[in-house]
Amino acid sequence: MESIIKLSNVSKEFKILNRHEGLAGSIRDLFSRDYKIVRAVDNISLDVAQGEIVGFLGPNGAGKSTTIKMMTGVLEPSNGELIINNRIPYKDRTKNSQEIGVVFGQRSQLWWALPLVESFKLLKDIYQISDKDYNDMLELYGSMIDLEPLLHKPVRQMSLGQRTLSDILAAFLHNPKVVFLDEPTIGLDVAMKSKIREMILGLNQKKNTTVILTTHDMGDVDALCHRIVIIDKGRMLYDNDIEHLKKFFGAYRTLKIRLREDTEEAAVKLTKELSDLDIAISNDDTWISILVNEEKTRVIKVLERIQETHSVRDMQLEEISTEDVIKKIYEGGTGFGK
Amino acid sequence: MVNKLKKYFALTRLGVLETLQWRIALCVMVLGNLLYLTLIFFLWKAIFASAGTDVVNGMTFEMTMVYLVLATSLYGVVELYLVWEIGRNIQSGKIVLDLLRPFKYKQYVFWENSGSLLVNFLFTFLPTFIVVRLMTKGTIPLGINLIYFLLAFVFSIIINYNIDFIVGTICLYTESIWGINIMKQMLVSLLSGATIPLAFFPDRVAAVVKYLPFRAIYDTPLTLLMEADPDWHTVVSKLGFSLFWVIAISLFSNLFWRLSIKQVTVNGG
Repeated sequence: MESIIKLSNVSKEFKILNRHEGLAGSIRDLFSRDYKIVRAVDNISLDVAQGEIVGFLGPNGAGKSTTIKMMTGVLEPSNGELIINNRIPYKDRTKNSQEIGVVFGQRSQLWWALPLVESFKLLKDIYQISDKDYNDMLELYGSMIDLEPLLHKPVRQMSLGQRTLSDILAAFLHNPKVVFLDEPTIGLDVAMKSKIREMILGLNQKKNTTVILTTHDMGDVDALCHRIVIIDKGRMLYDNDIEHLKKFFGAYRTLKIRLREDTEEAAVKLTKELSDLDIAISNDDTWISILVNEEKTRVIKVLERIQETHSVRDMQLEEISTEDVIKKIYEGGTGFGK
Repeated sequence: MVNKLKKYFALTRLGVLETLQWRIALCVMVLGNLLYLTLIFFLWKAIFASAGTDVVNGMTFEMTMVYLVLATSLYGVVELYLVWEIGRNIQSGKIVLDLLRPFKYKQYVFWENSGSLLVNFLFTFLPTFIVVRLMTKGTIPLGINLIYFLLAFVFSIIINYNIDFIVGTICLYTESIWGINIMKQMLVSLLSGATIPLAFFPDRVAAVVKYLPFRAIYDTPLTLLMEADPDWHTVVSKLGFSLFWVIAISLFSNLFWRLSIKQVTVNGG
């Protein structure tokens, strides 16, 4: 398949002034030429085909947004080559923007004071969408969600969920080839999150739109992305599907147990008692989760040790969750990606 | 071509809608202008009284008042507070969204604000003009001068917009807006003849101000408006002067923006 996004060895460096503390320091900064170079993105190569949904994962400040800004043409890469839709985005930003849609979860591109439909009409004119395409799109939206009440509501009166939904609709309106979604589900409740995921997936399938998504929510990843790219400290750690990732961590199991004592206290006690084993213990209200690497420690052995001192009421054995996989990679304790 | 224009006028339309949403703000603006006009009425009355003659620097009290009233309402139309807007967008990072519209940024900001310009013209300048005309019974002639005025007015908008855009671009470097903006407002309202007619300037200052672009914003359109039948030589030289600055300052602001945005996209901001 033809690739729509192509990054070859892309890097981005920022020049940042070394700031000094205090009043005297601030005055010194006015004349300072003491810069440091920060590598926000380091040698990333990527190839995305039309119609794919790719999830960008990574801790805060990993370089995800910088990468997206380069792909949209707002930032120019320091090194490497970047091609979107057969165009170099920063050289041809105005043309490029015709064929991409962008949603920043923290910020709205809609006109605050006016009903949504006015924003839509404006987008129709500035992206020069034909009447037919516009009406078809609204019809499609209408078949997916209850559009009518949303259209006539001023954007400033919308809830965060409604606003995000509207922003996503606005980004897809001119039927762009690529849509960039930067943390689209941030701050939303569970019902709204799943509604938005359905919406994104539906539009991706019906319009064959390529979607690049950054998120911290593993629910988004599980619901939407076949392929994930993990970035940390500007470097690409992983680029493949989620199943491969789990296979890599195939030896990991999560042992969940419930004890006859207070979960909170028991978790603390267990951490101490089992400190000689190579495991990670965490807990919620009712369950204590123990992440075990079967290659190093047998689950049975862990269970035995627990039963020596505690009485177990209930237990479950699970494969590692996406969330745990990602956490493992961020923590870097596995030597993964090196 | 039609589609292309539609793209820009769509922004104007939305700006009109948005401005009309804030009808209280519109009323307060009119009220504020009235207060300001009362103030300058008494100020200039005192000035003419202390001068002891009816004509000061070639202007009667009535002419001076008509000029200042029109200048004030013109200020309400032309001044779009764009430096604030551009500066705020840079600070908050919203500029990224604006850069992603299928427009050149400079055009986008202009057309996005053209709606409120139109509303202000129709709701403050036009009524003021009519009231002044009725009250003074003919200080303002109605003839060919209206055409000259409209032409000079378009130039005035373009020059003022470019000044704002240049100052806004400076915000890319300073990341602070307040001081720069206040300085710009003071400089423009003084040197353009918005607060004091240029006829009242000392000769030496006037000799310099004559060549600066600022006078094209208020002085040129208003003096053209108030003169019944100016000789064509005056008209051509005044409009020619404005046109020269329209071109010069547009070129400069485009260049400055291109260099500056390069700075941002290369070094981040």
